[in-house]
Amino acid sequence: MWESIADFVVQGIVLGGLYALIAVGISLIFGVLDVINVAHGEFFAVGGYLVFAAVVLMHLGPALGIVAATAGTFVLGLALYPLLLAPLRRRVGRRPSGPLYLVLTLGLSTFMQNGLLALAGGEYLQVPPHVRGILDLPFTSVSYQRLLVLAIAAVLLGGLFAFLKLHRYGLAVRAVAQDPDAAQSVGIVLGRVFGLTLALGVALAGASGALMAPLFNVYPAVGFPLTVKAFAITIVGGMGNLVGALIAALVLGVVESLAVMVIPSQWQNAIAFAAMIGVLLVRPQGLLGRAVAR
Amino acid sequence: MSLAIEALHAGYGDLEILQGASIRVAPGQIVGLIGPNGAGKSTLLKTVFGYLRARAGRVEFDGHDLVGRRPDQILGLGMSYLAQTGGLFPEMTVHENLGLGGFILETARRRREALDELYARFPFLHERRRQLAGSLSGGEQRILAVARALMVRPRLMLLDEPTAALAPRFIDRVYETIVDLNRSGIALLVAEQNVEMILAAAHHVFVLDLGQNAFDGTPATLRESEQIRRLYLGEA
Amino acid sequence: MSRARRPLALGAAAVILAALPLIVPHPFVLTIATQALIWALLAASWDLLGGYTGQISFGHAGFFAVGAYAAAAVTKHAGVSPWAGLVVGMLAAALIGLAVGFPALRLRGHYLALVTLGFAEIVRLTAQNWMSLTGGPFGIYDYRTFPGLPVEPLAHRRAAYWVVLAIVAASVAVMVKTCEHTPAAKAFRAIREDEVLAATLGIHTTAYKLLAFGLSAGFAGLAGTLYAYYIVLVSPTVGAVGTTSLAIGMAVFGGLGTIWGPVIGALFLYGLNEALRFVGVVYNLIVVGLILMVFVIFVPRGLAGVAASRPRRRQRAAARADGERALGSTGN
Repeated sequence: MWESIADFVVQGIVLGGLYALIAVGISLIFGVLDVINVAHGEFFAVGGYLVFAAVVLMHLGPALGIVAATAGTFVLGLALYPLLLAPLRRRVGRRPSGPLYLVLTLGLSTFMQNGLLALAGGEYLQVPPHVRGILDLPFTSVSYQRLLVLAIAAVLLGGLFAFLKLHRYGLAVRAVAQDPDAAQSVGIVLGRVFGLTLALGVALAGASGALMAPLFNVYPAVGFPLTVKAFAITIVGGMGNLVGALIAALVLGVVESLAVMVIPSQWQNAIAFAAMIGVLLVRPQGLLGRAVAR
Repeated sequence: MSLAIEALHAGYGDLEILQGASIRVAPGQIVGLIGPNGAGKSTLLKTVFGYLRARAGRVEFDGHDLVGRRPDQILGLGMSYLAQTGGLFPEMTVHENLGLGGFILETARRRREALDELYARFPFLHERRRQLAGSLSGGEQRILAVARALMVRPRLMLLDEPTAALAPRFIDRVYETIVDLNRSGIALLVAEQNVEMILAAAHHVFVLDLGQNAFDGTPATLRESEQIRRLYLGEA
Repeated sequence: MSRARRPLALGAAAVILAALPLIVPHPFVLTIATQALIWALLAASWDLLGGYTGQISFGHAGFFAVGAYAAAAVTKHAGVSPWAGLVVGMLAAALIGLAVGFPALRLRGHYLALVTLGFAEIVRLTAQNWMSLTGGPFGIYDYRTFPGLPVEPLAHRRAAYWVVLAIVAASVAVMVKTCEHTPAAKAFRAIREDEVLAATLGIHTTAYKLLAFGLSAGFAGLAGTLYAYYIVLVSPTVGAVGTTSLAIGMAVFGGLGTIWGPVIGALFLYGLNEALRFVGVVYNLIVVGLILMVFVIFVPRGLAGVAASRPRRRQRAAARADGERALGSTGN
């Protein structure tokens, strides 16, 4: 029985790593732009398609494929800010005016998902594992593919946190999240930071899409269930709080994995939402969030 | 340096707050901006610095036309702005806050030099450099905000009610700093509720009411005017 | 258009809609029109809560699903007549709406949107997994539709269309009346503009918010019951986020805070969606997504906003500016 638990815990940590990549991206975008990116999962799908193109169609190898997918989604995010978000912001200001930003990202989500469907068709595309082989641990074993996901997730998130803490523009991102007016007063151009943040956030989604492609297969709607769950995770951790999102993601991954032993597997997905509702009722700012009067 | 504001109109949405205000700041001056709440003092400073777009009128700074420019551009021309509330990054350290003050400086070396200068000028900030800005007292936060604005060596500073919500000893400290900065060549335009303090420090004072100029002159002239005394200095 | 001319315009629209089956007696067109009307009711119900009262719900699919499943279940398992089933579904959804509204009272903006999303997801997961109650992924099917309708296909669809039209029109009329001519109207709007201020002015914000939740959920559930009896199949997908998204999109497209705006938005978007299916199954949704984005950026007030008279726009802008000024700055 301990083998099972160890097995579930390991799988759960890997799952948590995936959740973390997505939830941190969503939390980052929300913390800085005050926008809930409903289309986040579509960037996950785009990452999958890019890695498919790179590895299967162009035979570039997994390493280049993952890099290309991450870079590609990053650039896409950079382009989408001035195209979509900036014009809306010019009209309604930063304070979310009703559901307008939600509807914008919602429209983007519909557009992207169906655009992918039109461009690439609806079949589930297969991507070979990025690495093969299995690692034997004392109580369990785990495939190198899954370990890769965890490793790259750690690298990307570590890199992001380092950037935010040490680099001039990383500090600028944090500054804008805390006080956009003050950020402007030291000469930070809000539009640039918003674009950069959006790009960083969706690049994380693209990278996870590329990493998970061998496991999930690639199809237009692959990212959507993750998005909704990621919203729940960011709420639990505290919207805009990256560390909170990270911790909540890991915990949820492990809990979901272990829960299979206790509840029927179809109900796994409900855990995240139950947790979200619970947190919202008891402590809306999230477990680690600050009490902001929203 | 010189700042010339002429017939400025600005506001929020359909609300027009400034209805043709004109202000002048000559080189080396401390200029006070007083008037009742809602007169437009904050709005004026925000419009000059580019947070709000002027609807009519001119703003000229050292020969540059400021209307339509972004705050980061105006900062680059040599003007700093200090907000009434907030204005700091509470969850970053003192050191990070100051560092961000030098955001537009081109090299890391210049940023370090500016930091060293400011730590020398305000030693207590150096002591507390690893503390979170939000954990400083109100007065210390205000000084930190001033220090941060100084990182880019501005020629003119806009201060929006720098002593708001401060304890009296901190008010004195803030004004000591203001006078000190002025002596080193920086001009200041200070919007103030605390009329006594600004009258003591300023070279020239403008009175705003309902978005327009109501009076201007030296502090002495202001004190002599019965009307002003009654309305703004609270004397019978 | 001015408020005086509006009843006239709406009346004309109702007449045209009623005459549709006589003008275009094509069963396919009628099917699309009927479903468009169901969406119109859903979008309008969302607007009552979101556009009028300012409570953004991302979980209306949940209320829709509750109504649909309740109606289908009682008719299939308890033999209840669909006419009664309509009421059952509507009430069930309304009660659930109150239940959701209660804890949601303390939440605003994004948080409210997300908790309602969580609620809808739970509804959908329940529908998908609770086989004995909901039939699981296969859903509920094989139950009666509205009794007393003609048997011949075209006549049947025509009659079903008129039934749905009557119910939708009545519901929209009730919602418009509530949101324009009752004390609730002012209360809803006050809550939307500035809830704290409304409370200090003595408005029972709690009661009115719950009322809005209950009404909105009830009508969303009614739309669900209509769906259940028209399509005669209820599956978990009715509770998917896509349902809510499309309803919100229709509402924004049509114009928030008007009730009739979302109706027109829904009819137009759904009609466009179906019409474009002929061009290519996928391209229709691409166009819908594009329209949503373009409209939100360039015409945020929607179709209704374009038709709104100038004084009303200026009033709103002034109210917004007052709100900004009260808060003291361009940001917070």
